Amino acid sequence: MRFPRIVSELLANKKFVTGISVFLAVLIIGAVGPLLYPVDPEDMSFPSSMPPCPEHPLGTDYVGRDVLAQLLRGILSSLYVGFLAGVVALAIGVLVGAVAAMRGGVVDEGLMAFTNAVLLMPTTLVLILIAALFKTRSIELVALLIGITSWPWLARVVRGEFLSLKERDFVYMSLLAGDRWLSISLFDLLPNMATYIAMSFAELVAGAILQEAGISFIGLGPTEGVTLGRIFFWIQTNNAVIRGLWWWWLPTTVVIVAIAASLVLVSISLDEVFNPRLRGG
Amino acid sequence: MPPLLKLDDVYAQYITRYGTVYAVNGVSLEIGEGEILGIVGESGCGKSTLARVMMMNVKPPLHLVRGRVLLQGVELNRLPRDRLKREVWGKQVSLVPQSVMNALNPTMRVRDIIRDFVKVHNPELDDDEVYSMARDRFEELGLDIRALDLYPFELSGGMRQRVAIAIATLLNPKLLIADEPTSALDVSTQKVVLKLLKRLWNEGIVKSIVFITHDIAVVRQIATRIAVMYAGKIVEVGPLEEVIFKPLHPYTELLISSILTPEPEVKKRGLVEIRGAPPDLRTPPRGCPFAERCPYATDRCRREEPRPVVIGSRLIYCHLRGGGAA
Amino acid sequence: MVELPEPLLRVENLSKVFVVGLFTRRRIDAVKGVSFTIGRREIVSLVGESGSGKTTTAKIILRLEKPTSGRVLFEGRDVWRDLRSREDILWYRRSVQGVMQDPYGAFNPFYRVDRVFKQMFKLLPKDMDDEERWGLVEKALIEVGLNPRYVLGKYPHELSGGERQRVMIARALLVEPKLLIADEPVSMLDATLRSGILKLLMKLRDERGLSILFITHDMGLAYYVSDRILVMYRGELVEEGHPDELIESPRHPYTKRLISDIPLLYRKWSDI
Repeated sequence: MRFPRIVSELLANKKFVTGISVFLAVLIIGAVGPLLYPVDPEDMSFPSSMPPCPEHPLGTDYVGRDVLAQLLRGILSSLYVGFLAGVVALAIGVLVGAVAAMRGGVVDEGLMAFTNAVLLMPTTLVLILIAALFKTRSIELVALLIGITSWPWLARVVRGEFLSLKERDFVYMSLLAGDRWLSISLFDLLPNMATYIAMSFAELVAGAILQEAGISFIGLGPTEGVTLGRIFFWIQTNNAVIRGLWWWWLPTTVVIVAIAASLVLVSISLDEVFNPRLRGG
Repeated sequence: MPPLLKLDDVYAQYITRYGTVYAVNGVSLEIGEGEILGIVGESGCGKSTLARVMMMNVKPPLHLVRGRVLLQGVELNRLPRDRLKREVWGKQVSLVPQSVMNALNPTMRVRDIIRDFVKVHNPELDDDEVYSMARDRFEELGLDIRALDLYPFELSGGMRQRVAIAIATLLNPKLLIADEPTSALDVSTQKVVLKLLKRLWNEGIVKSIVFITHDIAVVRQIATRIAVMYAGKIVEVGPLEEVIFKPLHPYTELLISSILTPEPEVKKRGLVEIRGAPPDLRTPPRGCPFAERCPYATDRCRREEPRPVVIGSRLIYCHLRGGGAA
Repeated sequence: MVELPEPLLRVENLSKVFVVGLFTRRRIDAVKGVSFTIGRREIVSLVGESGSGKTTTAKIILRLEKPTSGRVLFEGRDVWRDLRSREDILWYRRSVQGVMQDPYGAFNPFYRVDRVFKQMFKLLPKDMDDEERWGLVEKALIEVGLNPRYVLGKYPHELSGGERQRVMIARALLVEPKLLIADEPVSMLDATLRSGILKLLMKLRDERGLSILFITHDMGLAYYVSDRILVMYRGELVEEGHPDELIESPRHPYTKRLISDIPLLYRKWSDI
C-alpha cells in the first residue's frame, strides 16, 4: 500500500479518527496548557479544597494546590513516562526477538528462555520491589523500570514475525545480491513489520501510563514532579472521593482513561486497516 | 429442448469504495443438457466470477448489474438468497471450488459435513439414511468409504477434492460447476479427479458440467464444447475440437499456440508470444477487449464492440469475422 | 581413458534431511543422494512434482540452504566448504544467480523496483561509477525486453507478473553470471506471458552462453526449453535423458506414469 492510500484508509476508519483525535487533543492540552495557564502546580499557598471558581477553574486540592495546573503538568509527565518506557520496551523487544530469530540455535534458545522467565515474572510485584530499593525515584527511573519489564511479549512476537519473514522470496533475493543478515533485518524485515511495531508502541505507551498510575497509587511511583499517578496517590491519601472533592478526582480519571483508551483505539484501528482479514463484510 | 442454464446478457461488477471492477461484461451463454462446457481464460478474465453468477451466488461487493440467469426457464436472479440456498444450490446446481480446504469445515468429520449438507435440503431424512446414502454414493464412485470417518485434513489433496465432488453431487444436481478443480494438484492426481467428473457425467448423476480452467489441455480431455473468455467477455464458443484445431478468434488462436504440452507437434510449432498484458478490468477498454494486443486489429476494433457472428456451430465476437457494430 | 573437461557445475551425492517437530522428532528426507552435472551453454531441466525436493536442491546450489551431506562443485570449488572469505562469497554470487517462482514475493513491497538493481551494485567491479552501473541496468532491462524508462522508478505492484519476472531476470543478468538457477520462473504466469520468458532464456543460452538449471513441475515446458531433462521423485533423481527420448520412451515407472497422465492437446486419453 502506498502512502496516500494508507492515509485515506486510516482516515476512513472511525476508530482511528476517534482515537487519534482524542489523543492529539490531550497531547496538545498537555503541551500548550501550562503556557496558557502559568500557575505553579506545586504552589500550596491557595485556600484548601476550594470548588471550581474563576481563579481556579478546577478548584484546589486538600493541601491548597491548583488542580488544573496539576492536571496539565501531570498529562505531560505521564505521556513522557509512557513514551520513555515505550521506547525502552520497544528497543529491547525488537532487539531480543530479532537476534533470537536471526541467530537461531543456542542463542535463540537462551534468549527465549530469558524472555519467558521475564514474561512469567509477576511484573507489578517486581516493580514494587525494585521501586522500594530506591529512596528517591525520578520520573525517568520509573519509566525505565516499567520499560525493562514490559518487553517480553513483544520479543516473542517479533521473533515469530522474523522467522516467517526470513523465508520470504525477497529475503532470498537480497541474500543472492550478497546482502548480510544485519542489512536484511534492517531494510527487508523491519519495514514489513512497521504497522505491527506502531501498534505495539501505542499499546506499550498506554500500558506504561497505567502502570505508572498503578505503582504511584500505592506510593512507589516517582518521588518528584507531578504525574497523573502521583495525583491519584494524593487523591487516595487525602480521601478525596469520600470528602466529595469531585473536581479533583473526576477530571484526573477522565484524562487517564481518555489517554489509555485513545491509544488502544489507535492500535486496534491500525490492525483493522492493515490486517484485512479482520475487516467486516 | 430448452437449455439447462441460460445466461442472458449478464453484467456483473465488484463495487467497492475504491472503485468498480467490471468482471463480467455482457456474457450470453447456453449450457445444454448432456454437455460438458469448458470455459477457458487467463487469470483475472472473470471466469470465476462467471461461475458465481451461474448459480447466482452473488453477494456484495459483487452485483449482478444487468441480465438474467435462467435455470430451466426459472429466473434465478429473481429468487431470494434463502430460497436459492434451500431449493437450488446442491439440488439443482452445485459448485466445486478450487481450494476445497476452505469449503470443508476442518473441525467436522466428512460424514457430519455430509449430514449437515443434506439436511439443509432434506430435513426429513434421519442421520442413518444420510450416512447410507453417502456410503452408497462413495461405493458407486469407487471412493474409499473409510474417508467418511476422517477429518478433511487427514485426506490427501486429491482425495479431498474427490470427496468434495462426491458431496457436491450427492443430491444429483443437474448441473455441476467446477471452478479450477484440479489446478492445485499434480498431474497424476489431476487425472484421477478428471476421471471422477467424467464418471459422474457418464452415469447420469449430473446432466451437465461447466468446467472452468486456464488449462486448455485439460479441457481438451474432458469437455464437449468450449468457451474462451477474455477481459470479462466470451470471445468464442464452439465444439471442442473445432475451436482447438481451427480457432477463428485471434485471441483463441494465440492462446492455443501458447500452450506447451510435451508433444512433437507443439515443439515443431515454435513459441508464439503475445505482446502486452490483459486490460485492467477496473478500466475496461472500449471496443474489442483484445484489440490492444491483437496483431490484426484495425481502428474499428478499437472503436466498436464486435457483435456475435454465427459460423457453423460456432459463435465468434470479432470484427474480422464480420461481427458488425450495433 | 579420455579426461573429460570439468563441467560448470557438479552436484555429488547431495542429501538434505529436515528434522521437524518439537517432541516427536521426525526426519524428512527432502533430497536423497542426488548427483548431476550442468555443462556450459546448456539448459538442464529438473522436473518433479511438489515435494519432490527440487526447490531444496536449487536452494542448496544457490547457497541459501546447507546440505546435510554431499557436495556442490562450481568450477571445481566446493561451494559449501571452499568459499571462506566475503570475497569468495561475492565471487559466487557474481557467478551463480537465481530467479524465483513468485514474481510477486520476490520484491519487497516497500521499495521501488530500482532497489533490486542497486543491491547488486556491490557485485559489480569497484572502479565502476554509478553512471556506468545504471547504464548496465538499462542494457539488461532492454535485453529482457523492457523499457528502462517505463520500469525504473515504479513500485513492484505497478508492474504485471510477466514484467516483474523479466525484471528479476534482468537483475540476475546484471552481473553476467555463468549459471542461472530458475526455480519455476513461469509457473505463476499465464500461458500467453510464458512464451516470452522461455524464449528469453533460450536466447540467453544461445547468445551469452549462459547455463541454466530450469526447475519446473511442467514436463511440457521442460520438453520445450531443455537440452537435458532430470526427473526427480521423492527426493531422488530417477531418470535423466534428452527431451525427445524421455518423452517417447521413458524408462522409470514414475516417469512413465507422469508422462501418461499429462493432458495433451493432440492426443485424447483413452481411459477416461
